[in-house]
Amino acid sequence: MAATTGSGVKVPQLEEGQKGVGDGTVSWGLEDDKDMTLTRWTGMIIGPPRTIYENRIYSLKIECGPKYPKAPPFVRFVTKINMNGINSSNGVVDPRAVSVPAKWQNSYSIKVVLQELRRRMMSKENMKLPQPPEGQCYSN
Amino acid sequence: MAENGESSGPPRPSRGPAAAQGSAAAPAEPKIIKVTVKTPKEKEEFAVPENSSVQQFKEAISKRFKSQTDQLVLIFAGKILKDQDTLIQHGIHDGLTVHLVIKSQNRPQGQSTQPSNAAGTNATSASTPRSNSTPISTNSNPFGLGSLGGLAGLSSLGLSSTNFSELQSQMQQQLMASPEMMIQIMENPFVQSMLSNPDLMRQLIMANPQMQQLIQRNPEISHLLNNPDIMRQTLEIARNPAMMQEMMRNQDLALSNLESIPGGYNALRRMYTDIQEPMLNAAQEQFGGNPFASVGSSSSSGEGTQPSRTENRDPLPNPWAPPPATQSSATTSTTTSTGSGSGNSSSNATGNTVAAANYVASIFSTPGMQSLLQQITENPQLIQNMLSAPYMRSMMQSLSQNPDLAAQMQNPDTLSAMSNPRAMQALMQIQQGLQTLATEAPGLIPSFTPGVGAPGSTGSGGPTGPTVSSAAPSETTSPTSESGPNQQFIQQMVQALAGANAPQLPNPEVRFQQQLEQLNAMGFLNREANLQALIATGGDINAAIERLLGSQPS
Repeated sequence: MAATTGSGVKVPQLEEGQKGVGDGTVSWGLEDDKDMTLTRWTGMIIGPPRTIYENRIYSLKIECGPKYPKAPPFVRFVTKINMNGINSSNGVVDPRAVSVPAKWQNSYSIKVVLQELRRRMMSKENMKLPQPPEGQCYSN
Repeated sequence: MAENGESSGPPRPSRGPAAAQGSAAAPAEPKIIKVTVKTPKEKEEFAVPENSSVQQFKEAISKRFKSQTDQLVLIFAGKILKDQDTLIQHGIHDGLTVHLVIKSQNRPQGQSTQPSNAAGTNATSASTPRSNSTPISTNSNPFGLGSLGGLAGLSSLGLSSTNFSELQSQMQQQLMASPEMMIQIMENPFVQSMLSNPDLMRQLIMANPQMQQLIQRNPEISHLLNNPDIMRQTLEIARNPAMMQEMMRNQDLALSNLESIPGGYNALRRMYTDIQEPMLNAAQEQFGGNPFASVGSSSSSGEGTQPSRTENRDPLPNPWAPPPATQSSATTSTTTSTGSGSGNSSSNATGNTVAAANYVASIFSTPGMQSLLQQITENPQLIQNMLSAPYMRSMMQSLSQNPDLAAQMQNPDTLSAMSNPRAMQALMQIQQGLQTLATEAPGLIPSFTPGVGAPGSTGSGGPTGPTVSSAAPSETTSPTSESGPNQQFIQQMVQALAGANAPQLPNPEVRFQQQLEQLNAMGFLNREANLQALIATGGDINAAIERLLGSQPS
């Protein structure tokens, strides 16, 4: 039941992720195409230009819990990143620090999460933080 | 029987594989799917066979996007597509979108193209000075232990895939910390050879994200960077501190020359503040200094002395927004040199010149003028040439005497028309046509405009010029109310130009008789062309010759 109510939102999201959204800078899709529960997603954020993240590709894992979309998903960076609100040892996005998970609304979606994270990359406080070398991933 | 059974059996499975082969043969005409490839900037559609591999897809993409396949990174549904995968494997079907990132930095490729340097440190430190000869030894000299330690530290992080701009910024930070190191580096012939390559430097500069930001805000700077002469000049300056000082002195000179243009100084200062400040920030990281840095300080010190020359502007009739004190004081000096000397007319003229100053300032703020100004300041000669051109002078005069015209000039429409070269050409043609008409058929002129007719009929010398154009404004009011704004502008413009040139009109041939004879003697037999050249240059033979020579080979 929870899966079906969840999937009501997720299937359109799946299609949207496959069709590509707006400016081509975030991408997401099911981690496993055969996942019928539509809970595990991978996401990708392309680092915005004119920031230190520019031209880099950040890979994320997103897990939609059973209460999604009423509850925010767990988001975790796979690629190493240095940014406020992201745990530097395992890449978990702190749900209290990042506004989209913190002030989650039913209408939010994975796309919103990714775009919000990308927006934070462009914020003054983050855009110049020194980054680890490209291509490194968190160990877990 | 069993065989029969079996023989009947196999046909089915054999048909199965046959059928499978049939469908396997079907890929000979594979289904073509249309996949959209989207970059942050562009979007293209690709028709590829369904079963192609990512590698093949990338090859098709690389042709369209003009990059190399290893620069391309494809993303679908949040996963990076690896070369050996197939499109089907990732579930890419007809009509779906794949994201593309083009790695534009060629620094990592520079690293990869130097396979001779096996170790990561060597690869990156070699790529830094971008030269093929003995990178390692010369690196250790200028960079010193500190930064080499830094480099070594970086290498421990797996430097081969490091973003070059990162490396660069870290290097710069270390460099900034120690000026002696800076000097050492600058003197290193290696670095100098690198610096002397403008393309390279431009790439380096572009790689700096702040510069990119700056370029987005100010397209002038991208022009500046793309102009190899300017780049070379700037690089030479940066290399040579003595030359830097000389350059700064030149710029001070240029600035003081520009002071004499009403309002130009102020506009120039504004322009430099727009460009100089961000360049200072960005360029400081690159070279530890900015050739323009001193300009800011010199202009502010120049500013400090201006107010002492300010006149009391209160009683002046000034319908337009009062410009800053510096402008009026600058224009005061011009007014005393150009306009008449009496008190009343000077105050009037000041008011008008102030308006003219406004006009000039707003003209200067058009982007075209800004880039022109930049080039001007680098070449003070150009300013002198520009100022001494007679038509400029007459234009300034007529402007100062014709406040209506100045007001008209401030209209943004007219400004855009002014900056349109073809419009200017058309205006010039009109002016020339009017001039010829004035000489050939003075009777015809009054039908055009009463204002223009007046100079045609009177014109006997200099003093009539100003009176005529001051008569012109009163006449302009009548045609003004009738015609549309564009025509207004053109008429006034033409009147100003014609009025300014009126004193010369009646007897161009007589006036230039002497010059014409000289030109004839020199071998320029085309009388018409000579006359035109002489009119255009106001009787200056040398300039006329240059004009003629410029047009003849074509």
